[in-house]
Amino acid sequence: MIGAGTMGGGVAEVLAASGCEVILYDVTREALDEGVQRIQRRLGRQMKKGRIEEAEAEEIQFRIRPTVRLEEVAPARWVIEAVVEKLDVKRELFTRLEEVVDGESVLATNTSSLSVTAIAAAVKHPERVLGLHFFNPAPVMPLVEVVSGRMTHADTMDRAVSFIAALGKEPVRVKDTPGFLVNRIARPFHSEAYRMVGDGVADKEQLDRILRSAGFKMGPFELQDLIGIDINYAASTSVYDGFFQEPRFRPHPDQRQMVESGALGRKAGRGHYRHGG
Amino acid sequence: MADKVLLVGDGPLAEETAAFFREKKVEVWSLEQAREKAVPDIAAVIDGVSGPADWKKEGLRQAEALVFEQVPIFTSALYTCAAQAASWLNHPQRVAGFSPLCLREMKTVEISRPLQAEEDSGWTARLACWERWGKSVEVVGDEPGLVFPRTLALMVNESAYVLTEKAASAKDIDTAMKKGTNHPRGPLEWADRIGVDQVGWILKGLFEELGEDRYRPAPLIRKMIYANRLGRSTGRGFHRYR
Ligand SMILES: NC(=O)c1ccc[n+]([C@@H]2O[C@H](COP(=O)([O-])OP(=O)(O)OC[C@H]3O[C@@H](n4cnc5c(N)ncnc54)[C@H](O)[C@@H]3O)[C@@H](O)[C@H]2O)c1
Repeated sequence: MIGAGTMGGGVAEVLAASGCEVILYDVTREALDEGVQRIQRRLGRQMKKGRIEEAEAEEIQFRIRPTVRLEEVAPARWVIEAVVEKLDVKRELFTRLEEVVDGESVLATNTSSLSVTAIAAAVKHPERVLGLHFFNPAPVMPLVEVVSGRMTHADTMDRAVSFIAALGKEPVRVKDTPGFLVNRIARPFHSEAYRMVGDGVADKEQLDRILRSAGFKMGPFELQDLIGIDINYAASTSVYDGFFQEPRFRPHPDQRQMVESGALGRKAGRGHYRHGG
Repeated sequence: MADKVLLVGDGPLAEETAAFFREKKVEVWSLEQAREKAVPDIAAVIDGVSGPADWKKEGLRQAEALVFEQVPIFTSALYTCAAQAASWLNHPQRVAGFSPLCLREMKTVEISRPLQAEEDSGWTARLACWERWGKSVEVVGDEPGLVFPRTLALMVNESAYVLTEKAASAKDIDTAMKKGTNHPRGPLEWADRIGVDQVGWILKGLFEELGEDRYRPAPLIRKMIYANRLGRSTGRGFHRYR
């Protein structure tokens, strides 16, 4: 597991909980320690809630071996990368990884918005590179998008789907297109909501109420407050640009203004709604 | 005494609308029945026709001739906005748009007010019947598809583009939206329930009325309608049914 941040730590926990031996790598000792501590805290909470036994929590932690030396990931059969969302960083990392690990190993990226194909093109054997897009928080969210880059071998895809299913997660197959499935198909849920409010079709509370009544757990505005209005805006712009400004994906000016104003959602205390005191 | 409504239209969606009213112990009269035997105490006209516009117009005009002037007329606003439907009638101020989608499941009903009724002081009072039928009323802007149908149709449309590009299977699309972002149903199974033709009407209405590319119905949806792959009602839509 490459990267011990939000996603890397979460995925490492998923892997270890299902019995895999995990080598967890990050560039700095601090980031690594922080990542490991977050996993420990999560396991501690689960123990308190009685979801797992102490012995089990210990075993899970025991299976995760943290390191800051990339050479130590050499024995890995599966390499999953979850480092910063920057193409050049990921490409450089994959070039180094290819030299470290065995030729049979699969190299996966957890990118949400970059092209899997562009990452894969950095290595000599792109046929063994694919996307494994986990959702946040990884230990909770069941879905994993298994993303096939332009050069990904069919066999790599099949192996990855079985691997994800063996982790107890739900794999879906998707080609390397902007936003993959969830981020792409959920675009209208968010952008059309802005649009309807902007055009006076409904106000935010009302729109959330109507969509909840239709069966959605949350309306688009309360959901954006939870995930972060900036995060959702970034998803909008990346899908829009990914499709060369296809009008279906055009973000709404209010989206940008919300971000500019610092109303980012719950984490900022205010977003579409007020939160906290 | 039980309410009586005059229902315009047939087909699966109108039938489901009728089923909702029967559950609420409301008597449902068809145009034919009302023509044969005059019913003086109709509480409301319910137009469950999405399109084409000619059919709606014809049905609404016939219905208007059969009821008193103050009887409210609720017209499905999936394809046409209420203002357009109102333009066909002699007493346009009594018209309101509504969404017949998932009427039985939703505790709210979306209603829209046509421009012609903007200054009609009695308009809001005529919505009271929905409260009697157990719905909380949400008055929204008068655009085709209102809020929920518009939101759903656009997600189905996007999914249809994904299918066209062969980027994923219908089953995986539905799984992704349920497991990746907690939607109660996948967009394609939802489309199969409400009818692929209904999705087509909503998109067509938005595209015609708002005139923007983002509402253009995916060619796959149009072809499915030609091929009668309308969903559960015909045994095949995005998925197959026995
Ligand atoms: N956060 C989410 O909701 C989410 C969901 C799905 C996918 N993703 C994707 O997962 C990836 C990671 O996101 P995150 O939210 O966990 O970020 P994060 O900032 O929490 O973690 C990134 C980690 O990568 C480390 N890192 C940076 N450069 C590195 C390098 N060259 N080698 C090794 N480690 C390095 C950092 O020290 C940090 O610990 C991104 O590609 C992101 O798009 C994020």
